Amino acid sequence: MKEPIYFGIRHLSPAGAYHLRRLLNEVKPKLVLVEGPSDLTGQMEHIAAPETVPPIAILAYTQAAPVRSILYPFAEYSPEYQAILWARENGAECRFMDLPSDVFLALGKARQEADETDAGDRSDAWAALDAHSGEDGHETFWERTMEHTAAPDAYRRGAGEFGKRLRALTGGQGPDWSETVVREAYMRRTIEEAMQEGFAPEKMVVVTGAFHVEGLKTAVPMTDAEFKDLPRESASSTLMPYSYYRLSTRSGYGAGNKAPAYYSLIWEGLNAGDPTLHARSYLSRVARYLREEGNPASSAQVIEAARLAGELAHLRGSSVPALRDLRDAAVTCLGGGSFAAVSRGVADTEIGAAVGAIPEGVSRTSIQADFYRQMKELKLEKYRGLTAQELPLDLRENRTVKSQKAAFLDLERSFFLHRLRVLEVSFGQKQAVSQDSATWAERWVCRWTPEAEIELVESALKGDTVAQAASFRMKERVEGASGMSDIAAVIEDAFTCGMAGAVGYATAALQAMTVDAASLEDLAATAMRLSEVLKYGNIRRLDPAPLEPIIRQIYLRCCLILPGACSCDDAGAKEVRAAVERLNAVALAHDFLENRLWIDALEQVARRDDLNPRLSGLAAAILLERGALGEQRLDLEVRRRLSRGVPADLGAGWFEGLAQRNRYALIARLGLWRSLSDYLDGLDENEFKRALVFLRRAFADFSAGEKDAVAENLGEIWGLNGQAVSEAVNAALSGAESEALAADLGSFDFDDF
Amino acid sequence: MSDQNIQHLPAEELYQKELNALITAERDPVPAGWRMSPRSVRTYICGGRAGDTLITPKYIGDQRLVEIAIATLVTDRALLLIGEPGTAKSWLSEHLCAAINGDSTQVIQGTAGTTEEQIKYSWNYAMLIAQGPSPAAMLKSPVYRAMETGTIARFEEISRCAGEVQDALISLLSEKRVSVPELGIEVPARKGFSIIATANTRDKGVNEMSAALKRRFNIVVLPAPATLEEEMDIVKSRVEQLAGSLDLNAQLPADEVVEKVCTVFRELRSGQTLDASQKLKTPTGVLSTAEAISLLAGSMALAGSFGNGTVADEDLAAGLQGAVVKDEDKDGLAWKEYLENIMRKRGKQWAGLYAACRELNR
Repeated sequence: MKEPIYFGIRHLSPAGAYHLRRLLNEVKPKLVLVEGPSDLTGQMEHIAAPETVPPIAILAYTQAAPVRSILYPFAEYSPEYQAILWARENGAECRFMDLPSDVFLALGKARQEADETDAGDRSDAWAALDAHSGEDGHETFWERTMEHTAAPDAYRRGAGEFGKRLRALTGGQGPDWSETVVREAYMRRTIEEAMQEGFAPEKMVVVTGAFHVEGLKTAVPMTDAEFKDLPRESASSTLMPYSYYRLSTRSGYGAGNKAPAYYSLIWEGLNAGDPTLHARSYLSRVARYLREEGNPASSAQVIEAARLAGELAHLRGSSVPALRDLRDAAVTCLGGGSFAAVSRGVADTEIGAAVGAIPEGVSRTSIQADFYRQMKELKLEKYRGLTAQELPLDLRENRTVKSQKAAFLDLERSFFLHRLRVLEVSFGQKQAVSQDSATWAERWVCRWTPEAEIELVESALKGDTVAQAASFRMKERVEGASGMSDIAAVIEDAFTCGMAGAVGYATAALQAMTVDAASLEDLAATAMRLSEVLKYGNIRRLDPAPLEPIIRQIYLRCCLILPGACSCDDAGAKEVRAAVERLNAVALAHDFLENRLWIDALEQVARRDDLNPRLSGLAAAILLERGALGEQRLDLEVRRRLSRGVPADLGAGWFEGLAQRNRYALIARLGLWRSLSDYLDGLDENEFKRALVFLRRAFADFSAGEKDAVAENLGEIWGLNGQAVSEAVNAALSGAESEALAADLGSFDFDDF
Repeated sequence: MSDQNIQHLPAEELYQKELNALITAERDPVPAGWRMSPRSVRTYICGGRAGDTLITPKYIGDQRLVEIAIATLVTDRALLLIGEPGTAKSWLSEHLCAAINGDSTQVIQGTAGTTEEQIKYSWNYAMLIAQGPSPAAMLKSPVYRAMETGTIARFEEISRCAGEVQDALISLLSEKRVSVPELGIEVPARKGFSIIATANTRDKGVNEMSAALKRRFNIVVLPAPATLEEEMDIVKSRVEQLAGSLDLNAQLPADEVVEKVCTVFRELRSGQTLDASQKLKTPTGVLSTAEAISLLAGSMALAGSFGNGTVADEDLAAGLQGAVVKDEDKDGLAWKEYLENIMRKRGKQWAGLYAACRELNR
């Protein structure tokens, strides 16, 4: 049988695209077959549409969870893209010829399972190639040998040979070999079908990965029965805009390309018939970027860099610099030997910021359709622009309008924007609002970028509507949560998104986690978050009642473990303190929480001597504030804590804790200051010095007014004029005093602190 | 044949055989003024084969940096090698000159006292006074001679020279000619002329280089060896060469010993243990690979002269102490901490060295 014309390529290869176009112009085929899922041939019409701007990608994904996807990205210099374009321009038939996407996805599942056990692949052959070429990777090897060939037919023969050898070395190995065999059998079937249809083989061009050329020539076509037996999974697909940045972050043959903007420079150079255009463009762009950033980069330096790159290429036996040479030359001549100096310019030049576009309304995924429908319903369409616009929302019911829908328009908008936020679709950015309106107002800045469109399409993998996808994402987050506060964050999000279902789900997960041991800090942070939701949840018209039991549970647990948690060093005490303050706020905020429990726990902490004295002091302060510690008890406690014989750091530390809250309550109690004064009087000099360190810290953040009040108290106790004492206390140290202090401190032993 | 009693033979004499083999086996085009092609220079520096002759690697490390250095010289740009002390800057510059010109001795050794005359030319004053300016009364600097002959001059420690002296190079490098107003002549540089300068990034007492001068150089930054294995390779091969030329009557240190020294150096240099699990205090010294080499050579001398001919832990300990502790107070503390926190807990293999080091610190 006569064979069609095969053109082996590497995906995302400018030289491949260039030489393929040339061959197509020469052969003028009636049919072009391109490697790609055969059921997606319909997308070609959109791919080749004049409004379409690459980079774009075809995304196929399973409908059932867990969602798996395959992605076919096309840049302008993708041979496949150019083949499709050529066919449209010249009125030739063009088809995808690979396995349909539903089969592909089903096979992918099998491969994923196999991958985990067998990591063989073709890596051995690649490693050997790298060692032989002495380059920094096969990317560079390929670029040097293939991407700059201008000679007619050299690319096709070279790629053919490359594929043949690689196949000879690795054929039959690796986890994806069986898949390769199936794919080639199917592609062979497509080719033979086309010939039976009446396309003459010499008027048929097959564009496929170089690796498959030999396989396609020898494969046995798949029979109908075999085709029927293939596994399938129902799948959807869409055409989506893509970006160079995304191309560069995907690694692996076919899917990505580390330097997409650089490769487009090669493509330009090939089309202009100037093989070193890319080198000059690259270096000039880096230099221009540096200049725009305000760094000097002269034309002379660019010229030197170009010469150096040329010589580096010569050392490797090539006349055209590769990316590696250009980057090294830029570092040496423009960056003074340091990569950091040029890294941003290099990244900008190699990766670029290009984003693709597809015609309006083309193959929308259901989530896109849902998005646009809601945009219209919520009257948000005017915010869908490239310039950022502010959108203030008032979440309260608007009583001036008639319909229920209009009354809560802003709330619905808020739900919608929050759902997009959860999906990480960068459409709206939430801004901070002032405190007095924080409960009912929101301020968003909306901006629609192509990146956001891409993110939206990617969310299609998570669900068919924005709400579904957001719910799926929250479920994922709950499943992957490493701590309670992660789940609490989900619950918060679920409320802001107005999704009761997710609240229930996350609450259950949180409840399960509370049973396991968790630290007081975690529990308190979670309780605080939930408490906020509970307090302000009403405005979002969601019933927060399901949260009550969980808060009660966390609260109970906190009360039980509080005394234990207070047995810690001073470093740990800081966190416990924050937790205690939070819990106190929670206990005060909700009537359904039994206050007795909290008071009892605090009583215990305040009473015990074996806990961190500062936390004991804090507990006493809170009790005082809540009226659970009488004057008499306080006085007793002060005397007990501040008695001689109690080490100074413990006594003064306790006082520091006590002074952390509600200072006016302390200042108003003269007895307390009398006790403190008596205590200080009773200390010997050394003890006094030690106590001073702690007391100084305790009073450090007292305001001048507070210090005045304290001074007045002391004045009364010492029988002095309060004002004079205050002046003495608030005055700055004189020179002599601070010198004396410094000398004193020099011999002071700080080791214990 | 050259005199074997010279302390440090120039590279072109030490490796004459290899250079000749490379020149004989040359197949690629040779740039004007060069003795061999850029690729052969790379083979000479990084190792390989020339015909039947094995070429030993001279620079162990990133081959790409060597390529950039060579390519720079092909484009007749001046080359500036920058790096911390002991990262083989001078070593690389010497070998590049040896390979390209067969002459690594056109050197200006930069100091704070270097003058502009030493960079351009000066006069034999007796003759100058007796006969007036004449070519015979002129003393040409290495740079002058390199320009005349189309070869490469080396400028060591360029950052130690005063700024105005460094500036003398600016017009030399951009115009590639030196004018002698006294004789009314201008000497153009022949093809092949270039300068390889080296500069230190960390030492004290260096001058900042002007941006104008930096622009005239292609700058290559030489890093400290990337891995322990690489550093051990460098140390081993250099100690072997040194032991040969210094007639140290001791056996070469065992791999285990080299590994210990390199480990200690690398850990203290980077401020963390090799497995990155513990942070360490770094001493003030640079602890370069070059120091590790001289430390081992010193230990061999100790072992050869006063010991039994094999490098023992005691011989190492003295050297390590001296290399690490440069500033008594600070470094002493860092070293003691290292001994107690890291070395002591390393197990049996290190026990001997630990005991010996501790003995010195009593």
